[in-house]
Amino acid sequence: MLRSLVKRAAPKAVVPEPEVLQVPPPLTLVDVEDPAIESRNLSVWYARKHAIREVNLKIQRKGITAIIGPSGCGKSTYLRAINRMNDTIRNCRTTGQLLVESEDVYGPNVDPVLLRRKVGLIFQKPNPFPKTVYRNVAFGIQLHYRATKEELDRVVEAALRQANLWDEVKDRLDDSALGLSGGQQQRLCIARALAIHPEMLLMDEPCSALDPVATAKIEDLMFELKKVMTIVIVTHNMQQAARIADHTAFLYLGKLVEYNVTRELFERPTQELTENYITGRFG
Amino acid sequence: MPQAAERKALERSLKKLNENTITLAELSEIAIRKAVYGLDRLDPGVADDVFILDQEIYALQVEIEKTCVDLLALHAPVARDLRTITTCLKITTDLDRIGRYAKDIAELVLQFHAKEPNPAGTLGKIPRMAEVAVDLVDRATRAFVERDAESVRHIEEDDDAVDLLHDEIFQEIVAQMKAGALDIEVGARYILVTRYLERIADHAVNIGQRVVYMVTGDLAPRVRAAERAKGRPPARDGGPRGSTGDNHRGTDK
Repeated sequence: MLRSLVKRAAPKAVVPEPEVLQVPPPLTLVDVEDPAIESRNLSVWYARKHAIREVNLKIQRKGITAIIGPSGCGKSTYLRAINRMNDTIRNCRTTGQLLVESEDVYGPNVDPVLLRRKVGLIFQKPNPFPKTVYRNVAFGIQLHYRATKEELDRVVEAALRQANLWDEVKDRLDDSALGLSGGQQQRLCIARALAIHPEMLLMDEPCSALDPVATAKIEDLMFELKKVMTIVIVTHNMQQAARIADHTAFLYLGKLVEYNVTRELFERPTQELTENYITGRFG
Repeated sequence: MPQAAERKALERSLKKLNENTITLAELSEIAIRKAVYGLDRLDPGVADDVFILDQEIYALQVEIEKTCVDLLALHAPVARDLRTITTCLKITTDLDRIGRYAKDIAELVLQFHAKEPNPAGTLGKIPRMAEVAVDLVDRATRAFVERDAESVRHIEEDDDAVDLLHDEIFQEIVAQMKAGALDIEVGARYILVTRYLERIADHAVNIGQRVVYMVTGDLAPRVRAAERAKGRPPARDGGPRGSTGDNHRGTDK
């Protein structure tokens, strides 16, 4: 009994995190003048784990920004911080500022539901509802707006067309969405997000479960969408980031290491850590 | 991002590429040194060696090119890996051209031997020009082997000495031919020799600039030889200063 008390009372050793010290100061080599999204000293904790460490990042409006980094570096946490999806996680705490259209989304008067209407999120694994194709797209609209049947039909068709899915499902609108292929399901999820007219789209490894043809369709879609909205994508696929992103940010151990125009970052990274990661020397 | 096994495969291929490129650089340098040696002594016996070297250089260049294409297709390299592969792909052409010019000079040596010219006198600057050109090739290839960007960062400025010698020798040969002191056919061949040496130096500069890119990612701005020539003292008799090697970073003609 006494021994356990002594053990419990013993001061906890402060263990430095040597690997964190190896991360060089962040290097931002791209100047985004009018960012749609901006984080200022953003930190995110999961209980005592410091998942995002004072990240400063400006995300270009109507462009594609890729976030890359090894597993556990905080990519998805950063992405989910943008539309406050981390709020649903117990013990998750956020400090610093995250500005969406110059407004701090962690400010006192921000409604997370309205924020998520503005900033859609596409998950790694397609997650259609176990409903019909039509209901999947109509669901979000009905949640946020009152619409007549005609209006609903029109919006559903427009969203499916925008997601390049209409031609493939127009005769199967009343079939279960679960019967669609993986690529179609992911585009259906994108259509579902587009139906409520978001200004920004966050994509968390949207193609990791898809074959190259389905991946190409999603990437084509992203090229179309970036004309009208801001896209942030988290990806493990270096070639995908190189193909589609205008800017790329490399995160490591929760810190921003390097942020640059994608071509520059992949052709001549400035930080050795970036070089070693993108060339596969670690990760 | 490549997985560990893929990374190992990439590194194996990169190592092979590096070794082959170094061998190619050595062969090209030997070829040009032999050709210059043959020119200096008007020794036709050297020509056969240079011809064989030229064939080996071509075969190795083809192999390196294939390795580079395989690497690009199979590994989608980025950053330093990508720069190394594209540099090898580019400089193999330069090294092959250097080997080809060595062969051209060796062919001229054979023709000189038949005509028995007297290369003494005012043509004495040609060995000097050859020495500077070979030195540039040596520096560029050594920079590649040692991954030393700084030693070749301003290599194009040293190439100006070759261009200047080229202009001067051209004027001298023309003057001697006008005065009847030099056979027209022999003089024309000497002009070709200097042209080849000047191009060899240009290829050395290309290699040096590619090495800088490979190591640092910095691409040297394109400066035309004619632009740099404006800063040089004029050649005698208002010769074709800057008129040669006008496309400094370009390919062969």
